[in-house]
Amino acid sequence: MNDRARRILIVDDNVALARVIQFAMDGAGFDTVTASNGQIAFDLAKESPFDMVITDQQMPEMTGVELCRGLRDMPEYKDCPIILLTAKGLELELPCLQDEYEIDATFSKPFSPSALVKTVNELLAAAAA
Amino acid sequence: MSGSPSKLSFPRKVVACYLLFCMVTVCWLALGVCLVSHRVLSSHSANACLSRLGKTAAAIEMSHLRHGQQELQQLTEQAQTEGGLAYASIVGPDGIYLAHTEASLRGMPMLQPLGSLLRWGSVSGVRFVDQQGRTLREYQVPLSVNSEPIGSLQIAVVEPTVGATLASVARYVPIAILTPLALVALGAVVIGRLARTVAEVDEQLRRVALLPPGKEVSLRPLTARNGASLGWNRVVESLNERRNHPGHESLNERLSEAIAARRQNDQTDILQNLSDGVAVTDMEGRITFANRAIEALLGATATDDALEGAAISERLIQEMPELAQCSLFDPECGNRSVVSEGHRNGTNSDRVLRVSRQPLVGKRLKGQVWSLRDVTQQKLADKMRDQFIDTATHELRTPLSNIKAYAEMLATCDKIELEQQKEFCNTINSEVTRLARFVDDLLSISSMEVGSLSADRQNVETDRLFEEVLAKVQPTMQQKDIQFEVRLPEKMGQLKLDKEKIVAVLVNLLGNAAKYTPAGGHVSLKVKLEDDLLQIAVDDTGVGISPEELPMVFEKFFRSTDARVQAETGTGLGLSLAREVVRMHGGDISVESQLEKGSTFLVSIPLE
Repeated sequence: MNDRARRILIVDDNVALARVIQFAMDGAGFDTVTASNGQIAFDLAKESPFDMVITDQQMPEMTGVELCRGLRDMPEYKDCPIILLTAKGLELELPCLQDEYEIDATFSKPFSPSALVKTVNELLAAAAA
Repeated sequence: MSGSPSKLSFPRKVVACYLLFCMVTVCWLALGVCLVSHRVLSSHSANACLSRLGKTAAAIEMSHLRHGQQELQQLTEQAQTEGGLAYASIVGPDGIYLAHTEASLRGMPMLQPLGSLLRWGSVSGVRFVDQQGRTLREYQVPLSVNSEPIGSLQIAVVEPTVGATLASVARYVPIAILTPLALVALGAVVIGRLARTVAEVDEQLRRVALLPPGKEVSLRPLTARNGASLGWNRVVESLNERRNHPGHESLNERLSEAIAARRQNDQTDILQNLSDGVAVTDMEGRITFANRAIEALLGATATDDALEGAAISERLIQEMPELAQCSLFDPECGNRSVVSEGHRNGTNSDRVLRVSRQPLVGKRLKGQVWSLRDVTQQKLADKMRDQFIDTATHELRTPLSNIKAYAEMLATCDKIELEQQKEFCNTINSEVTRLARFVDDLLSISSMEVGSLSADRQNVETDRLFEEVLAKVQPTMQQKDIQFEVRLPEKMGQLKLDKEKIVAVLVNLLGNAAKYTPAGGHVSLKVKLEDDLLQIAVDDTGVGISPEELPMVFEKFFRSTDARVQAETGTGLGLSLAREVVRMHGGDISVESQLEKGSTFLVSIPLE
């Protein structure tokens, strides 16, 4: 892969969280864009391609899972790593969701930003390989 | 013992007593008759004698006038013969018998017999016993001719003895004795017959009295056709009927049975008044008992649609078709408990009923007890609780994740500018506040549950109260570009309120209005003070509430299923707390709403 900074789309209606994730990702050298709901994110994703999508599950307009479904229907996002963040008690359903929407990783809130950065790095490395 | 053959039977005893009394009576009567007859005869002979005395005296006086003393002897003899006299005599003024039926005494001086004296007018007499032992009554009357005394007439009669009296009535004896005897005998026969029924009952009762306690009593019906025996036969019949009925083995058992029946009545009343539907079925699944609640639940309130006798499976499946698939009606598992739930049929399809079946076991399996409960409220509560847990998890995790992320960044990242550090700390601070508020809400709701939440009403500067409220909600209104209209009375002065709680209520109502009103909408707060009533109206042009959900908005943990509401965070506690606070002030809260048009919440609090 080339040296250009990887583009990551961060989607969360919790603006404060989106901002701190962006801060962590920026610190790790990624090029980040934030969106406050699934619909905005979907529109952004259509405009320009991203290397990774980190999305919250519970959002107005379009949920994280709906966004995944939409993205996976687009050829350019077929293999794009997607990370789902959830604040609801979805832990039991996560394996199911991962299989169904080919979600690469899930994080239950509260989570550690550094762990998220680590996973992002690993997934991108795996995608590049 | 009384049952031994040596003793007289009851009817014989009755007849013997009857005869004894009859005999005594007859003897007494006979004696009476004899005495009366004797008296009558004596009196009769005395009367006859006296009338004879008069007649004879007149005849003698007449003869004396015509013929002198010639015919005196003849007249006395005639009087003796005609009157059946003992003797008759005429005594001259010189005390010498002029005539006497005893020829030897004629010319002799008059005899003076000793005895009791008698007197009737001019007639004098004496009662005496003569030498032959007879009791005689001698009467004496003076004789006179032309007012010249010529002597006196004496006649005597024999007083009849008792023997003579008896002899005189002897010819009536056969008829006098035989007739009463025949009547007495007839009476004995009739009494004997009448006493036979009583005798049989008596004999049976004696036998029962001799039975040891607890021994079965057996009574025979009577053959006689009279009222008493028909009654007795009814008693025997009902006794036998009871004995043949299972569980009526002894008197004690019947007694406990009666007590149980009395208790049963109470228990039936209790069962009838239970709010849960209760029914009992026999081994074939037919309803043998159904209380009022189950009749109402299964729509069998009409008398022609009684549940008794109907098959419970049919009635339940008719009401809840889903039950057809479950094991409730599986005859294989009749001896174990089964619980199932289903939605009702038809117009009540939103109602959920829980059916439970228990085996009815006494000495053996007798059937089943069914209970039916409307668990719609419980289901709704469960759903609301799940929804609350879901919301609470989200509400807790969101600030926690922010706090954790920001704190970790502050701790691990070296390249943060001071301004940014401050911003991060502020974020952490506001998230902690959010978390604390949520915990407060939870605590309030828990206090509400245990009833320890109370209003501390104190004099409050009302203007300050509303200033505080406006300060809290105005930023949100501005953020969403909502047109916020506030109409307060010019001068409100002091009111007695629990300031903190009322502020929380108003912030909650206005916060909701702001939350569910799209950007550019309109929210108003109108306050009125009228007739000692504080009226507050919060009006918005928000998403509104559907008519179905409107009655539930004040329920704890209730959150609308509307996607626009779901998209916003909330615990479903705010309105429920608001209502509680308003009610603690003696007021009430109500809501009017139209979907897509907006909602109006009205709070009214009476002033102290």
